[in-house]
Parts: sequence; C-alpha cells; structure tokens
Amino acid sequence: MSQIETFYEVMRRQGITRRSFMKYCSLTASALGLGPAFVPRIAHAMETKPRTPVIWVNGLECTCCSESFIRGAHPLAKDVVLSMISLDYSHVLMAAAGHAAEAAMAEAMETHRGNYILAVEGNPPLNEDGMFCIVGGRPFVEKLKEAAAGAKAVIAWGACASYGCVQAAKPNPTQATPIHKVITDKPIIKIPGCPPIAEVMTGVITYMLTFGRLPELDRQGRPAMFYGQRIHDKCYRRPHFDAGQFVEAWDDENARKGYCLYKMGCKGPTTYNACSTIGWNEGVSFPIQSGHGCIGCSEDGFWDQGTFYNRLTNIKQFGVEANADQVGLTAAGVVGGAVAVHAAISALKRAQKKTQDKVEG
Amino acid sequence: MTDARLVVGPFNRVEGDLEVTLDVAQGRVARAQVNAPLYRGFERMLEGRDPRDALVITPRICGICSISQSAAAARALGAAMGLDPTPQGALAAALIHAAENVADHLTHFHLFFIPDFARPEYAGRPWHGRAVERFTALDGGAQRSAVQARAELLHVMGLLAGKWPHTLAIQPGGVTRAPGPREKARLAATLRAFRRYLETVLFGGPLEAFCAIPDSASLMRWPGGDLALFLEIAADLGLEGLGPAAGRFLSYGAYPLAEGPAFAAGVLVAGRPGPVLQADIREDLSHAWMLGSPAHPLEGVTTPDETMAAPGYSWCKAPRLAGLPMEVGALARQAVDGHPLALSLAARGGVLARVGGRLLELARTQILMEAWVADLAPGASFMAQGAVPRDGVGAGLVEAARGSLGHWMRIRNGRIATYQIIAPTTWNFSPRDAAGVPGPLEAALEGTPVDGAVPLAVQHVVRSFDPCMVCTVH
Repeated sequence: MSQIETFYEVMRRQGITRRSFMKYCSLTASALGLGPAFVPRIAHAMETKPRTPVIWVNGLECTCCSESFIRGAHPLAKDVVLSMISLDYSHVLMAAAGHAAEAAMAEAMETHRGNYILAVEGNPPLNEDGMFCIVGGRPFVEKLKEAAAGAKAVIAWGACASYGCVQAAKPNPTQATPIHKVITDKPIIKIPGCPPIAEVMTGVITYMLTFGRLPELDRQGRPAMFYGQRIHDKCYRRPHFDAGQFVEAWDDENARKGYCLYKMGCKGPTTYNACSTIGWNEGVSFPIQSGHGCIGCSEDGFWDQGTFYNRLTNIKQFGVEANADQVGLTAAGVVGGAVAVHAAISALKRAQKKTQDKVEG
Repeated sequence: MTDARLVVGPFNRVEGDLEVTLDVAQGRVARAQVNAPLYRGFERMLEGRDPRDALVITPRICGICSISQSAAAARALGAAMGLDPTPQGALAAALIHAAENVADHLTHFHLFFIPDFARPEYAGRPWHGRAVERFTALDGGAQRSAVQARAELLHVMGLLAGKWPHTLAIQPGGVTRAPGPREKARLAATLRAFRRYLETVLFGGPLEAFCAIPDSASLMRWPGGDLALFLEIAADLGLEGLGPAAGRFLSYGAYPLAEGPAFAAGVLVAGRPGPVLQADIREDLSHAWMLGSPAHPLEGVTTPDETMAAPGYSWCKAPRLAGLPMEVGALARQAVDGHPLALSLAARGGVLARVGGRLLELARTQILMEAWVADLAPGASFMAQGAVPRDGVGAGLVEAARGSLGHWMRIRNGRIATYQIIAPTTWNFSPRDAAGVPGPLEAALEGTPVDGAVPLAVQHVVRSFDPCMVCTVH
C-alpha cells in the first residue's frame, strides 16, 4: 500500500459513475453551504488528492451514531462516504471479525500514521482503571489513546464523545469521560447530538476528506456551519411562540394546531443544532414536528439539567438575538485547521457558558 | 485443535462488546463462558430523578432498539400512573415500535449475520461466489439494497415519531403526534415500497406465501430471493443442527393494542405452552460482577463488584424464570404465538431456526403494519392524560426485536426510587446461575465444532441470537 489511491479512484473502483461523482460533488457543495463555484474545486480535489484514511472506534456508547450515519443522508453521499471509510477500520460495519479485525486496525494505524482521521463514537469510562469497557482484552481508553497518537485529527461523534452524554449522568457510575479530557494533543472536532444528524456527519466528514482540513469551528469546537443557530431560530412553530400560543397538555387542541411546545419543556431556545433546518430521517421530520419538545441533546450537560419536561426559565420572550458566535466575542474564534489545544478550549467553553447564561438569563 | 482454551472476541458487527471463552475438547466446545465486558450503570443514574425522565434516558441505553426501551419505560410509568394509552395511541405506538423491530431484523440479517458467509474461509463451497457477490460486508449487492430499503422504511419514524434513533414520541398515554390524513397516506406509501423491496429482493415471492409455510422442511424449498441463497448455504453447512436451543422460550407478548397483544404472550417449555408468571422472575448474581442476592427486579439492586471477584465473569446478571434460563427473540415470539413454521423450527432450535424465525416475523409484521395504518383514525385521541403519582410501582414488559424487555420502577416521593431493567440479551447471554446452569448462548455453544484458526461455526451461533450487548449491561 505504498501508493494511496485518490478518492476518485476509490469511487470508480466501487462502481460509482463519473456522472454520479459529479452529482456527489454538487450535493456536497450545497450540503456544506458552498456555492456552485465550489463544485469543480471539490471535484479537482477528489481527483488528485490521495484519500484520507478514516479509523472509526467505539467506546462506551449505544451505537446510535453509527445507526444515524448508515441510515441517513442522500443515498449517494452515504455510499461514497461509507465506501471510503470502510477501507480502514470500523468496529460495527467491517467484514473481518475478532483478532483479525484488531490486526486490521493495527495495520491501518501503522500504514497511515500521522495521516488518518480518527472518528470516535462513545467515550472511555475511567473508573476501575477503565475496566467497565474492555475491547480486545484491554480497556478502551488505552486503545483510544493509541489510535489518537497517530491521528491527524479526531472527530468526536455525538454527545458521548463530545460531552459524556447520559451515561455520564449523575452519579456517573463508570466515570464516563468525554474524549477531549483524554486526548489533549490533537485537534478535536465535536459533532454533538444524541445522535448527530446523519447529514451533519456525512457533511463534516466529506468536508475534511475533500479539503484536508477541519471546517470552521465555533468556540466549543463544533462546526459552525451546522451548529451556528438555535433550533428555536428556524423552528416552524416559532410564530406561535412569538404569538404566545402554547401547547398546555399532550394532544390537546393546541397541540393539534401545532402550537409552540415551550411549556411542555422544549429546549429549542437554548439548543444549537440543525434539526429544524436539515431534519431527520432524510429530512422527513424532527422531534418538535412529532409534537414533543426538543431535549437539547446537542448541548453539554443536557442530561443533568433537571427534568426534561420542565419549561426553560432562563430565556426572554423577545429580543434574544445573540448567537453562539456573537456571544463572548472577546474570546478568539477557533478557525479553519487551527489546532485548538484542550486547555484553551475548556477555558473558552467556560467563558462562553458564563457569558451565554448572562445574556439569556 | 484439541483440549485448549480459546477466547473469541472482540466480536465486531455486534452491537456493543462481547467476549466468549471456550474450553475445547476433541475439536468441539465442551464449555462456554460469555463475558459482557462493558458496564454503564443506567439503573443507578435513574434513581432520584423525575419518573418522566426515564422516557428520555432509557432509550439512550441503545441506539438500535431505542424505541423498545422507550416503549417499556412508557409502559412501566403508565402502570405506576394507572394509565393506559388510548386505542389509537396504542396503535400508533405499535406502528413506531414495529417499524424499528423490522428495521432491526433486516439489519441483523444483512449487516451482522450474513457477511460471514462471504469470508474467504468458505472459498471452496459451490455457493461462495454468489455469496461474495450478494453478501460481502458493505459491498454486497444485497446489503446495499437493504440499507437503502431500511432508510426508506424509517420514514415511518419521521412521520410518526420525529426522529430516530432516540425517539421521544411514545408516552404512557399514547403518542405525542396525532397523525392526520396526509401522514396516513404517506405511511401507506412507505409500507408499499418496503413490501416491494421484500418481495422482489429478500424473499423473492409474496409475503403471504412465505407466512403460509407450514414447517421447516418446506422452508428449505423456498425458491426466491436472497433467502433462497441463504437456505442453500444453510443446508450445505448444516446450520439447522448448529447451536441448538434448550427448548425453553419466553415472550411477554408484542404490540399491546386495545384488543390484546398482536403476538401472544407466554412461555413454551419442551413444546408445552404456558402463561408468563412475572412474579417468578429472579436475577441471579452468583457469576456476575455484581453484589447482592438473587431478587425479583422490583427488589433488585445494581451494585457493581469493583474487585471483579471470581466466580464472577461478566457484568451481565443471570435472569431466570421459575429458576430456569429462557431463550428470547423472534423465534421464541413466533413459536409462543403458535405459528406452525416457528413451532417446527423451535422444536430443534439452532442457527437456522433463529434466523428463520426472524425472517418469518419480518414478513408477518409487515402485513400487520399495513393493517394498522389502514386502521389509523385521524381526529381520534392519541394520548390519554394522567399524572405521575407521589408513590407507585410499575412494570413495563415489551418485546424488542431481540426478545423480551422489562422495566421495573418504584416511585417514592415523586422521584424514582429504584429502576431495574432486564434486556433480551441479558436473558440470552446470561452467565451461569448459582446452580451452575449455563445461559442460553453458553448452552447452545456446547458441542459446536471448532476448526481452523477462525472458528466460524462459533461466530454463526453467537450471531444467530442477534446480541445487543449495550442493552444487556446497560
């Protein structure tokens, strides 16, 4: 494997036609919010650049991220991305099994040292020396550190890897720990959500594969293109919020009319994610559309904020116009492929959280 | 290979992590120990929370069967509230749950189970070329079309439940989304498309004809689709005799509707049907890394033994019904429901029976879902109102794709006092109990041939249960 193929060669080998390839490039451009002018650039990059290897590992988690990923997105984009990532290591999807699979991972890490993207689903539990999650006879935390050592960048899939998620809920019996507390010397891109939206996952990975760098991140380390707005900002029920029309009980008259779910505990006003624009299950719907409030699953600590069915008490009815990027402008944004070291990120996160509370509270 | 100890694992293409220790004698498994090397402690996190939070937290035990967890939590909470869903609410919840179970069966067959037959170790077999073409992991033609069909089927989730995985729509009183005529029409169209996929690709024949198969001998003559190729492989490799069941099956009854469950509840022990006596369930901890004594889940606790002391060897507890291990899953469900093909398959158990049971259920559930959509009545009430009591007790027993799932909760002072969960794979992959009786997988593995560097037969047996390890150990 001295000569690594280009993306285009991989795709052609997988039976994807030139026509489909061009369609994929334009889909990607629009998914990422780039204009048509970017289509030839993406095509050129994919024809000439060697493909970026991806290694996908699973720790303490529920596999909802993989599930979301394989099910969603435009079929073509999913096919392409899947065929690219399948080449290296994926615990859930690959063909080999047992020690052969572990050997495949070791080989992929060695061959592509310093060049691969490590995608992490789930997180390591640190209690009892990591014995609550054993993979291949060793604590997952060891496998994770090893894999991260040779990675060019790390993707934290979902709320588990990004923040800990429900398995870190009080009293956090296993001390489930987000990966940035364990991997401190690599750029980490967080794709929170439980699970993240499939299109966001494919979009981010495509961006990284195509341009060979991280997309623009906000101060929490999330790609700004998908986490720049609140659910509330683009919610189709927003007019009812502004008009003071609320659902008061499940399936009441107001629920039938599609009124706002704020009083039923909806966390849309404080949650940064793309559900209300991209939608779920190939854009069919999203939680608010099914008549249940948002639980804020892409926000840090959403699992320990009191009951999910209490209404938010710290938002103003009108005039909340700051978004994640305007809040706390004093802190420098983390842009492009810049390496954000862990210490800085957590400091910024703390700063932002404080400022955000102030603005919204 | 003779008289050796073999550790097989980690198993990938399995939901979660799993290790199996095999004592081998004369080329066959003499004794198997199943180890679930993962623990998360969900039951402990739920203590002290608002009881309604279980509806949000427990689905996150598992990204594959999250609706089953959500349905069980809603049932448990509903039981504590003394609240039943409205008939239409129950119908919509059944549709959501059935769509997930069907999607899971499809995923298991194509993504987790069948790719093993495309492996190079089988290169000499007459069917291998076709298996490679259809079944290779991520590349096979069958797998691609299954992933596609499944994504489209899950539009049902979008239409009724907002998002999947981790849906929030199912509540004790019904569902949050009252489908209108537009949703009803789209659901029907989605199911029509899915039937077309099943009948042209997977089964290669009408679903009704498949459901009318009377016994396992006739099953082997089914001519169509990817299924025929699998049956040819199964006959060649003798999958019928591999990993036999102990003849004890359990089902809590699937899809509770106003008129009763769509698939009956009951047990089947040595071919004799009987009722499920929920009070007879005990969780044995003798071989788990857990502290405490055997208890009914309402009395049980989850206290991990941090020293991981012997004879414990797994984070998984050992549930027993009236002192006996039970096999759960699609085969159990269909056999308990009395379907002739399932009864015929269950008489022997084994890899073919488990996979066959799953495919039978896939076909039957598709037919059920079509009828349910036709029964949806836009404008009816989809949610009964109720209040969470200050003190109460409730059990929620449902059937997940992989088998019987139970939640037991106690509410004290308006907060969750205890919460215990027994998941399907907890039953199937349980460790030994105090009497030394092995769990269903451990028993099924005994006698399995171990040859070559990679014991593929062991892989087939383990995967035939469709394990979900994250649920097992929650």
